[in-house]
Amino acid sequence: MVAITEMTNWAVDLIDVRKTYDRKVQALRGVNIQVGRGEIFGLLGPNGAGKSTLVKIMMTVVRPDHAFGTILGRPLGNRRKLQRIGYLPEGHRFPGYLTGMQLLHYYGALVKVPRTRREANAESLLERVGMTRWADARIDKYSKGMLQRLGIAQALLNDPELVVLDEPTDGLDPLARRETRELLLELKHRGTTVFLNSHLLSELEMVCDRVAILIDGLVARQGTLSELTEHTVEYRIAFSGSVTALQAQLQALGVSIEGGHLSLPGGDMERVNRVIDLLRERGITIESVQPHRFSLEDVLVETLGAQGRAASPGP
Amino acid sequence: MMPFWALIADSFREALDRKIFWVMLCISILVAAAMFCVSFEGTADGSIEELNVFFGAYRVRLSEAAPGTVIPRETIIGGVVYLVMDHVLGGIGILLALIATGSFFPSFLERGAIDLALSKSLSRPLLFLAKYLGSMAFVLVQATVFVGLTFLVVGFRWGMWMPGYLLVIPLMVLLFSYLYCVSAWVAVRTRSTLAAVLVSLGAWVVFVGLQGLGDVFELMPQWKENRTLYTVARVAGWVVPKTQDITYFAGRWSGAPAPADVMPKTRVPTPADRELIDKAGEVDRQRFEQRALPSIGSSLLFEAVVVAAAMWTFSRRDY
Ligand SMILES: Nc1ncnc2c1ncn2[C@@H]1O[C@H](COP(=O)(O)OP(=O)(O)OP(=O)(O)O)[C@@H](O)[C@H]1O
Ligand SMILES: [Mg+2]
Repeated sequence: MVAITEMTNWAVDLIDVRKTYDRKVQALRGVNIQVGRGEIFGLLGPNGAGKSTLVKIMMTVVRPDHAFGTILGRPLGNRRKLQRIGYLPEGHRFPGYLTGMQLLHYYGALVKVPRTRREANAESLLERVGMTRWADARIDKYSKGMLQRLGIAQALLNDPELVVLDEPTDGLDPLARRETRELLLELKHRGTTVFLNSHLLSELEMVCDRVAILIDGLVARQGTLSELTEHTVEYRIAFSGSVTALQAQLQALGVSIEGGHLSLPGGDMERVNRVIDLLRERGITIESVQPHRFSLEDVLVETLGAQGRAASPGP
Repeated sequence: MMPFWALIADSFREALDRKIFWVMLCISILVAAAMFCVSFEGTADGSIEELNVFFGAYRVRLSEAAPGTVIPRETIIGGVVYLVMDHVLGGIGILLALIATGSFFPSFLERGAIDLALSKSLSRPLLFLAKYLGSMAFVLVQATVFVGLTFLVVGFRWGMWMPGYLLVIPLMVLLFSYLYCVSAWVAVRTRSTLAAVLVSLGAWVVFVGLQGLGDVFELMPQWKENRTLYTVARVAGWVVPKTQDITYFAGRWSGAPAPADVMPKTRVPTPADRELIDKAGEVDRQRFEQRALPSIGSSLLFEAVVVAAAMWTFSRRDY
C-alpha cells in the first residue's frame, strides 16, 4: 500500500531501466530516476551517456529491454497518459510542407486536443515563443532557432502535466535561451513538471530543482542542486607575501598553493581559521577569503574523474 | 478517431507537396484531352463510319481503310476505353503511383521525424495503418481524376455512358494496394525509398511472372510430367496477388469488351448473331464473376499477411 501512494507522488519514477541496442551498445545499464511533481529536473551527462535513450523510452519511441516504473502514476508506455505529456525530441525534423500553425494543429490532433482549444493554445504559444509573425510560413523556410521555438510550442500545446525536453536550448540564441528559462519557470509555477536534458550545465543550474548525472548508462549522482554542490565547497584565500616557509605546515592541513592564493577543499571553517592564524602569525596580508561553490560542471568533471574516465564522448 | 484522420489528412498534404502528384494529374488531363480530340461519326444503325481527329483536321473513313467491315459503336469505343484503362491507368499510372508513394513511409520514419508520431496517443499498429491508408488516398484521388475525366469524355463526346466504368476507381486502388504492401514492408525494414520502390516494382514483375507460369505449363504438356514443379508453379500462382486479373475485371465490369471482341466483323450482325453473342457474353461474365471472389480474396490474404509483417516489424523497432 505504501508503495502505491509513494509511487503516485512522483511524476516520473523509473526503476532499473536497461537498454542494449543491436545486442552490442549498452546504452542504459539499470537506471533509477525519480522526479517529483511540479519540479524541474535536469538530466546531464557526457555525449553518448544514454540521456536521449532514457527520454525515448519514457516516450515509447524506444523499447526498453527491461524497465519498471510509472509516469504520472501510470505504467510506462500508457497511451492515455502520453496525451498529458509534452515532448520535444532531440534533433527533431518537422514536415517542411506544413506551416507553423498547421504543424501545431497536426500534433495537437494526434493527442486529441479539441480544435477550439488547439486554436487558442496555438495562438498564445506562438506568441509566447515569438513566432506569431511566422505562423503561416512554411516550415522549410525556418531557421534552426525558429524550428526549436516551434518545437517548444508544440510540446506545450496539450497543456501537459509533464514536459520532456531533449536539449531544448539547442540552436537558440542567448536571448531566446533566457526566454526559454523563464518559460520553464513559468511552467513550474503553474504546477507542470519539467524533465530536461541539456548539455549546457550552467543553464541547468539556473532553473533545475534537482539533477541526475548519467554516465555510461548509469546514474552516478542524483539529488537537489545544493546536495550535489554543497559537499564540494572549497575556500580560496588570496594573500600577498611569501608562504614558502609555511609550505610543510600548509600541506599538512590539506591546503594547496596556487600562485597568489591557497585553496582548501571542503567546507570546514575551523580549518580555514587555523590557516588564517598561521598566515597572520607570519605577518602575511590576507586580501580575501572566498567560499567557492562548485558549479555543476565541476561536479560533472569530478564525477567523471572519480569514474576513472575522461570527459570525452562515449563510444 | 481524431488522430487517425489527422494522419490521413497529413498524408494528403504531403502528397500535394510532391511534384509527381501534379505530373500525374497533368498526364490524366492530357489523356482525357487527347481522347476529346477524337470523335466517331457513324451510321444510323450504330456502326462507325468515320474517325474524326482534331475536329476535322484528319478524317479516317473506316469503310475505305478496310472495305466491307462493320464496326459496332460500342466495340470500338469499349476497345479504346479498355486500352486506356489497361495500359495508361493499370500500367503507367500504377508505376508512377508506386514511385510517388515509395517515399511516404521512409520520410515518415526518418530520424527525428518519427519520434513525435510514436509518442502520441495512437498505438504503433494503428499509426502504421493510418499512414498506409493515407498513401492509398493519394492513389484514390489520382484514379478518381483519371477515370472521372475519361468517363465524362466518353459520355459527352462519344455518346456512350458506362456507369460500370466508375468501378475502375476502387479496382485500381486495390491493384495498387497489392503492390504497395510490399513497398511499405520494405520501407519499415530499411527506411530507404530506393529499396521500397525497386523491391515493389520487382515484386510486380515476379507476381505477373508467377501468374503466367501456370498457363505456360498448360501449353507445354511435356513440362507437366514433372508433377512437383507443376504443383509449385500452380501454388505460387495462387499465392501471389492476382494483379493481372484486375484490369480483366475492370474491363468486364465496366461494360467494355475484351480486346478479342474488338475484331472487326465482316457483316452487320443479324438478330440471330446478336443472340449468340449475348449468350457467349453471358457465359463469359459468369465465369469472371465466379473467379472474382477467389482471385480478390486470395490476393487480399497475401496483402494482409505482408501488412501484418510490416506492422509487427514497425511495432518492435527502435527509432
Ligand atoms: N537507434 C540506435 N541504434 C543503435 N545505437 C544507438 C541508437 N541510439 C543511440 N544509440 C547508442 O546509445 C548510446 C546512447 O545514446 P544517446 O543518444 O542516448 O546518448 P545521449 O546521452 O543522448 O548523447 P548526446 O548528449 O550526444 O545527445 C550511444 O552509444 C549511441 O551510439
Ligand atoms: Mg541526446
